[in-house]
Amino acid sequence: MDEYPAGSLDHSVPFLLTLGTSGDPTYQSGLSAVLKEQAILIRSELPPLDSDQAHALLRYIQNRDASDLPCNGRDAPKKHRFHVKTAERSILLPPRRARLPDGIDMPSPTAVLHSPYSPLSPISPLYPDGLIGTQWIRKHQDLVPSVLLCFYTLTSDPTLATLNDNKIKTDVNNIRALLSQSGYKTRLAVVLLSDKTSASGDHVQDRLESLRRGCGIDAKSLFLVPPGDSKEELERMAENMLTTLYTASLDYYRDLGRHSRKKRGRGVAPQPTVPPTSGTSQTLSLAGWNVRYDFKSAVFAEYRQEMDVALRSYEQAYENLLSSELMEVIPSWSPRWNEARFLADVLAVRCLRCLLWNGQHSAAARRWQSHRERIADFLDRRGRGTGNYGWEAWESRWALLMANLMEKASIPELAPVTHKLYLQPEKNVMGERLQPWEFLHHTGYWYRLSAKHMQARRDFAHAIPEDDRRSPSMSPASFVAKSAFAYDTYMCPDPFEEYPLHRGGFDHGRFVVERLMKARSEFLKREQVRLAAEVSLECARELGLTEEWSGIVKLLRPLWKDLPFRSEGWTTIAELLSWNLRAAAVELDDAELVVTIDWELLNQTFQKRPNWEYDITKALDQIDTESKPIVSLADGQILPFIWTSFLFREEEGKAGQNVRSQLTIKSNAHQGSTPVSLTSLYLNFSGSLDRVVIEHDDAAAVQEKRGNTSISAVPLTRDDAEAEVTDLGATNKSVILQGAADLTLAPGQTLVFNLEIPLREPGETEAQSLVVNLDTEEFDLHHELKFHQTPKTNFWYLSGSATKRIARPNPLAIKVQPRPPKLEIKCPVWKDQYYTDEAIVLEFELTNGEDIEALAKLDATLFGENPPAFTVDIAGHESQTSSSSRSEESKLIGAPLGTIESSKTSSVQLRLPPVDRSSQYDLTLKVTYFLPTNPGTPITQTTAFQLNIVNPFEANYDLLPRVHPDPWPSLFDADGVRSAAPDDDVPLAFKGLSQSWCLLTRYASFASEPLRVVDIDVVLSSLPSVRCHAIKHNNLPSSGEGRLVAPKTIEEAAFELKAQKASLDERGPSPLDVSLVIKWSRPEVSDQLNSTTLPVPRFNLFGTEPRVLATVSHMFTPHPLVVLTVYIENASNHLLTFGLTMEPSDEFAFSGPKQTSLSLLPVQRRGVEYRLVPFDDLGGGGEVGGCWYYQKVLRVVPGGEGLGDEGGGGGLDSRTGRWRGDGKGSKGLERVMV
Amino acid sequence: MCKSSAQDVDHPPSIACLGVIGRNNNPLHISIFNSYDPSTNLFRPVRTPLQFSLLLSSTLDIFELRSRAHAAQGTGLTGDFGLLHAVDEKLAAYGFETNTGVKFVVVVDMRGRRASTAAAGVGEDGKKSSAVGTTGVGLREGEMRVVFKAMQAAYIRLMQNPFYDPDEHSPLTGPGKKITSRRFGEEMRKIGEGWVPGVTSL
Repeated sequence: MDEYPAGSLDHSVPFLLTLGTSGDPTYQSGLSAVLKEQAILIRSELPPLDSDQAHALLRYIQNRDASDLPCNGRDAPKKHRFHVKTAERSILLPPRRARLPDGIDMPSPTAVLHSPYSPLSPISPLYPDGLIGTQWIRKHQDLVPSVLLCFYTLTSDPTLATLNDNKIKTDVNNIRALLSQSGYKTRLAVVLLSDKTSASGDHVQDRLESLRRGCGIDAKSLFLVPPGDSKEELERMAENMLTTLYTASLDYYRDLGRHSRKKRGRGVAPQPTVPPTSGTSQTLSLAGWNVRYDFKSAVFAEYRQEMDVALRSYEQAYENLLSSELMEVIPSWSPRWNEARFLADVLAVRCLRCLLWNGQHSAAARRWQSHRERIADFLDRRGRGTGNYGWEAWESRWALLMANLMEKASIPELAPVTHKLYLQPEKNVMGERLQPWEFLHHTGYWYRLSAKHMQARRDFAHAIPEDDRRSPSMSPASFVAKSAFAYDTYMCPDPFEEYPLHRGGFDHGRFVVERLMKARSEFLKREQVRLAAEVSLECARELGLTEEWSGIVKLLRPLWKDLPFRSEGWTTIAELLSWNLRAAAVELDDAELVVTIDWELLNQTFQKRPNWEYDITKALDQIDTESKPIVSLADGQILPFIWTSFLFREEEGKAGQNVRSQLTIKSNAHQGSTPVSLTSLYLNFSGSLDRVVIEHDDAAAVQEKRGNTSISAVPLTRDDAEAEVTDLGATNKSVILQGAADLTLAPGQTLVFNLEIPLREPGETEAQSLVVNLDTEEFDLHHELKFHQTPKTNFWYLSGSATKRIARPNPLAIKVQPRPPKLEIKCPVWKDQYYTDEAIVLEFELTNGEDIEALAKLDATLFGENPPAFTVDIAGHESQTSSSSRSEESKLIGAPLGTIESSKTSSVQLRLPPVDRSSQYDLTLKVTYFLPTNPGTPITQTTAFQLNIVNPFEANYDLLPRVHPDPWPSLFDADGVRSAAPDDDVPLAFKGLSQSWCLLTRYASFASEPLRVVDIDVVLSSLPSVRCHAIKHNNLPSSGEGRLVAPKTIEEAAFELKAQKASLDERGPSPLDVSLVIKWSRPEVSDQLNSTTLPVPRFNLFGTEPRVLATVSHMFTPHPLVVLTVYIENASNHLLTFGLTMEPSDEFAFSGPKQTSLSLLPVQRRGVEYRLVPFDDLGGGGEVGGCWYYQKVLRVVPGGEGLGDEGGGGGLDSRTGRWRGDGKGSKGLERVMV
Repeated sequence: MCKSSAQDVDHPPSIACLGVIGRNNNPLHISIFNSYDPSTNLFRPVRTPLQFSLLLSSTLDIFELRSRAHAAQGTGLTGDFGLLHAVDEKLAAYGFETNTGVKFVVVVDMRGRRASTAAAGVGEDGKKSSAVGTTGVGLREGEMRVVFKAMQAAYIRLMQNPFYDPDEHSPLTGPGKKITSRRFGEEMRKIGEGWVPGVTSL
């Protein structure tokens, strides 16, 4: 609004003038020099008040000044709104009637003089045909108060009271007289401030009444401020006073409004005091007068805050002004043309204010637009058109005005906190077709619009031809005349001022920037960051024109750095930012910024700038740097032109091994840009992997190159010594793997590096980032690129043209398994079977396959059912014996093995005592060792063996009775029978029955290999009353070296047992326990003799039951003859008779009783002898009848060799002549009890 | 004067630009259309592609603001954001957001169509602006819905193409590819050129 004359657009607020106290801004009449002469002086004769109270009151009134209050009617109607001015003792009012200027005589004595502001007065600038000017507005706003408030002291001193009161009366009357003389209807009000001591109420009332009457003012215009009141009291009183005065003030303006309407109603154009003689001699038309009257009524309505009334009047004035009768007829060269335009603007602004006041926001926006359209239309038709800087200047101003008006109206719905960008239309226009712009947008948009038009203005200004830009004093007159009409200079300078030829003219840039910055701050307040960025860019362009480089950097750098244009893919915007920023950075010698931007702009995602040399090494050519800049870029800070990926070939690896991996970097730089020769690459891992550093080496061999892809294998060497040098990706790892490769990266080129990375510690490891380093003479650049996991990156270059997809979820990571143990546990002579009753010695060999010596310990566990305790012998250490904590486990923990040198073997002997049962054990050997290179990490090798222990032999047994050769003792032989009295010294003499048996054992080896059987024996154990011994008969060589027994073959061994009871009296059965003992050894270890004891089922010897035994003996000379002796033994206490039958046979002949009966005494044995002669060779066996005993046939048991074991009969083998123990068909011997 | 006559005639609105913006605020597609320029009597884009980019990007602020307001108030379920903002008297941006966060932006040039061609489009509407000061044909609330519907239909057809991978275009991190489908571009062009105020289907 600044460009409009002061006050022309201001909101009209009732004017209150105080008189009688000194206020802060001293009184300025504000009258022009011409009018000052004729001004009416109103003067108070009394000295000005100087009391604190008076000052406090005045200050309060001044503070309540409403000129700057928001122009809206939304808030509860204010009790009062005043524009306050103060004067000490005198004020000047403009003359009501302007004198005629010198040299003009009164045309006639009846001629009426008019106000100096009227077009009727010759001294008025409007004379003779002007419409209305700012002066008139200012007259009411600043010069002629609606209320004149006079301050006086009410003296409490009774002696002086009357005197003073009279003085006041005189003064007030004087002022009032002057006022009425002036012709203004200004309301006069008096405020009396009591001095210190308070007077009694009645007295004061009387005085006030007398004063009121004396001054001729009504009660509502006289105020008394009681003395010494508190501040609150004073303020309350002041508030009441202002409210009362406000009513009076509104009255004043109502009167004025009425007056204007009355004049309009007359319907005649008044004639000027002096008819115009100059110019066109044209006077203001009636339509013009109507505009003038309407405008006045509207302004007075605005004073009264009757905004609807005001709006109507303004609109009326506006329509009339733009009607065909007024503006259409004003010639565009006339100064009145611009005055009319100005008035139209003022009217429009005031209309807008009324609309905003009433909350008709869309209507305001529409009104704004319509004024613009109408003026544009008007200019296009009647004026100099809209295609010039003057129009753009106005457009810019018009948009700015709207922003200012909105600010003044302070619309709460559009406050930044609401985050609303525009207002919804009012209800009455809601359903209509609305222009989007008619939704009232916040001021940011308006400021921006203003700036845009300002830029357009500059563009037009710059298009002014040089001739017009010359100062008129230097131009030919014809040019001046021509240009005077060619340019629209409404409220803007002439072309030679707007854009002078040789000096700076109008500073468009400053205004553009100022408005853009305002817009930007509005956008930022509403979190429109992107729009603010756009505005900032426009601003930067503007600053660039004026070379305010630091301003650009300040403005754009945060945007360039923080805004998500890059990450969201708005590359064109990012690019625009970058180029703008770079231009500024170059000027400011900000090397770091330039390098960063150049580095980013290499990316061919951005548009290639024609004629630009893309060479990063030359980035700083135009820049002076004090020190070498170091640029560190983090991932995501810029859009890198280097694209990188990393792959592990395998999903898993083992510590200590190398893993194959591939690093790929690809350049997306602009085609034609200079290849970038990177200095080094740092490859960083999470977890335990070492950092890999690849240095540039021109000479490094490239394995394969095809097209744009080159693959090279980079051998890595360990470098422990290198300390951490860079700040990027700093880790405290001191181990670095170094390699060298050609790192020259041409546009579009892909470099593939095959790396063999040694894995160190178990765990998960992931490739994290690649730091690309470019160190040149002028700058160092470190750019960190994080690896991102996308399906596109999972390609492994097999060759330059062939890739293979690595179908793993995360090929950036590798799982490192613990280091595999290289110490081997072996048992060179492990056998499938070990045998019971054998001391087992297991030899183990521990071979260190590591590269260095290992410090090892051994844990051994034997697991099974009741495992034996075992002993471990380690060379050079004491033997250790296992302990068993549980019944199924026997273990030895932590047996030190000492240090095993690399590729050396240490042997361990594990000894188990003989086990007596066949069983199965699990033997687990665990060797835990440490390598001196990595003493914290134990490495474990575990080997399990299954130990099978089986019985090597099994046997079955037959106990065959034999006839004891000795005769049975006779009961009648007392000496032979009775045993000696038991005596300790003499061993027990055995005199009982004797029996002879044959124990036949068949044993088989169940071993998996031949075993050497050295000896077979039996161990007898019987009751003490029985004596027993065995005589062995086996087929083992007598030399004692034994015989190899093949597996699964049955061997026989027989034992002859002789048993004798101690006493004859005792003949009952008696058990005999026998175990078979086999002494054997493994054929290869003959010195170790094992003895396996096989338990034999218990036998019963003796018994009182009679038994029959048969023996044969052969005689072959002269004839084959078989002597069969049948022994019948009666061990009972009874006399028994046995029948014995011998069946005759066709096969043999026999001699002996065919049928006989035998009686046996208790404890007697008798034998019956038969002689048998076989008939022929073909004959079968003979048969020996049967033997009866209690109706029971007794079996004849073979009592010696050569008899069949079936018993109950036998036969002779005629072919061999031998007795065949075949009981079938034979008849038993029968014994019949008598 | 050609110019003043042009000023008198109402130039109805036309679409100046259609933008499809992905879930990650990344531009997927931008179609720019010619507007009628009365001063030169030519059809040409009213802004440069870069300016349109800036304009589309600036609507993202408003999408964010509105989404936040919608979330707080539980409104905005239709996805139609209506008028986002008017950049100036000529250009205004309207927005729509799908359930998957894809945004459609229509930039309308309020005077982009030549009067003669527009007469047919507006004729049936029958309401030529007559109010004092209003220029051109305004827009009713929801008038853009038909455009969004057509855009969404085209986008759905694009998604139905098995070779179109939406994740490639709006990955979880960073910007993705732009839409390259010629058919989609053609459809956008049809929408942008075919729209006139009051049209009920595209």
